[in-house]
Amino acid sequence: MKQTYLVEARRVKKYFPIKTGLLNRVVGHVKAVDDISFGIRSGETFGLVGESGCGKSTLGRVLLQLQKATDGDILFAGQNIRELDSRDIRRLRQEMQIIFQDPYGSLNPRFLVRDIIGEPLRVHLRASAKEVEERVVELMELVGLDASRRNRYPHEFSGGQRQRIGIARAIALHPRFIVADEAVSALDVSVQSQVLNLLMKLQKELGLTYLFIAHGLNVVRHISDRVGVMYLGKMVEVAPTEELFAHPLHPYTAALLSAIPRPTPHRKQQRIVLQGDVPSPANPPAGCRFHPRCPLAQERCRREEPLLQAVSGERQVACHFPLE
Amino acid sequence: MTEYLIRRLLQSLLVLFLITVVTFALIHAAPGGPMQIFLAPGLSQEAAKIQAHNMGLDQPLPIQYLRWLGGLLRGDLGYTFKNHLPVGEILWPTVWNTMVLMGTAWFLSLLVAIPWGIYNSTREYGFSDQLASILSYLGFAMPTFWFGIILQEFFALKLNLLPLSDMWTMGREGEIGDLILHLILPVTVLTLGFLAAYVKYSRSSMLEVLQQDYIRTARAKGLRERRVIFRHALRNALIPIITIIGLDLPYLVAGAALTESVFNWPGMGRLFVDMAVAREYSVLMAITLITAVIVIIGNLLADILYVLVDPRVQLGRKGGQSA
Repeated sequence: MKQTYLVEARRVKKYFPIKTGLLNRVVGHVKAVDDISFGIRSGETFGLVGESGCGKSTLGRVLLQLQKATDGDILFAGQNIRELDSRDIRRLRQEMQIIFQDPYGSLNPRFLVRDIIGEPLRVHLRASAKEVEERVVELMELVGLDASRRNRYPHEFSGGQRQRIGIARAIALHPRFIVADEAVSALDVSVQSQVLNLLMKLQKELGLTYLFIAHGLNVVRHISDRVGVMYLGKMVEVAPTEELFAHPLHPYTAALLSAIPRPTPHRKQQRIVLQGDVPSPANPPAGCRFHPRCPLAQERCRREEPLLQAVSGERQVACHFPLE
Repeated sequence: MTEYLIRRLLQSLLVLFLITVVTFALIHAAPGGPMQIFLAPGLSQEAAKIQAHNMGLDQPLPIQYLRWLGGLLRGDLGYTFKNHLPVGEILWPTVWNTMVLMGTAWFLSLLVAIPWGIYNSTREYGFSDQLASILSYLGFAMPTFWFGIILQEFFALKLNLLPLSDMWTMGREGEIGDLILHLILPVTVLTLGFLAAYVKYSRSSMLEVLQQDYIRTARAKGLRERRVIFRHALRNALIPIITIIGLDLPYLVAGAALTESVFNWPGMGRLFVDMAVAREYSVLMAITLITAVIVIIGNLLADILYVLVDPRVQLGRKGGQSA
């Protein structure tokens, strides 16, 4: 099935060197993202889930060229952006943006909110002071902030309001693609849903495409059209959201889903509790990376690494023995 | 803010008072005293008593202190024992001389250290960064008097390029060119000392800021690296640097006793050493007092500058804002 993606990763790798000793010898690599291929369609929300440290955030940043990929190609609207020079990448920032996890650390404490939101306009569009002012007011109202507070500093805002500032900044230049990197994880649950609804509203109004990185599965289910599951630098399953939640194919996905607390106490659910810790991404297990913790592992899983393959329709899974 | 300043000033006065009490006690607790220095050999007990009475040294210490304090409140810093000169007459010229020397060294070191530290933070462990490290270790480790003597030996005695010591050549007082020649060696010694600290501070302060999330945000905005460094990072990195500068302010006036002694610079640091040897209590008290005042002003100035550069800081509030 031939598909047109807005953003596509082809065999993308991101290795971080581990240096030790007096001479900074490279003794190994943390394989944060190891040979991942997937695509995000225009206008959809692609949810990315996985445990802490599995490489979700790194993948998001590599897609935006905030970190350079070690290998592989990244296509944005059909153009390979890994070949661009720094000037073209800066220009590309108008098209692709990111919302960060920590609304406290990600806003410069020495900048007025007006300048945080308005700076991209000034730098990229060379907008006049008046134009910037108007647009800042417009953006703040769009994300549900009181625009009369634009001459304040970030520390005078609450966590949820700060995240709205981050969103207003991200959409200031009408981007097409936004990576929301744990954009609601740091917020209170009640504020989380407000920000999620805002993101969905903006998607509808501005035609945005999202890569939504999270570890809260309920949040991902709420907002995503399709979901990708990562484990130890690998994409292990990709599927439309409802199909994935109704019927996971990968044993790891099944274990993740069984960990969601459900408000149905009378129905005793089976929880799959994984044994052991996540192996080190510097020295991942041979064969299938999940095999030491997989309840269904067999001899073949220890030897041979399963590839991400289409199973049926839109579903892909990387497992020798997918669940029925 | 005003209320805060008033409170700080009142606190400062109390601190100053306590400092003078402690210093006074310490000076008098030291063995020896002016009497032993000024007593001519063979002076009779009787004459010595009269001498001590004239100098006010026969009074109990608290009375002596109150007399000194009373004089101070009337703007009278006292007189020297030896020549009965007013302390101010001896002191003020040395304050100015010290400021010329220290101010030059301090200004030069900041001028070099801050840009250099910023540059090094963007190229961590690069050649320039390593060079700064080596220079810093030298600056910290080398005793200033030793370094000063080496410079004198080489540039003044061997090469005969620069004057050995003092502030002016005899007969050329007031000529700016002559002053500059005399400044070069002591300023080199002092600058290296300041530079060692400031280049490290500005580098580490920048490095810390460059790791912050909001720097990543700035890069994600698609800003040029120059703008990220100077607009976004430097503004935040300057905050701790300003504190250190404020706290170092007293050096400008108090001087560097060792360097001034080596180069025979007529500054306050050298004066203090000389007067300590001569047991000129009133001069010692005056110098301590001036230094204490400058320390307090420097701290206060750093706190006020803090408010100006960091919007999160508000003076006079218990507990900080959540940062």
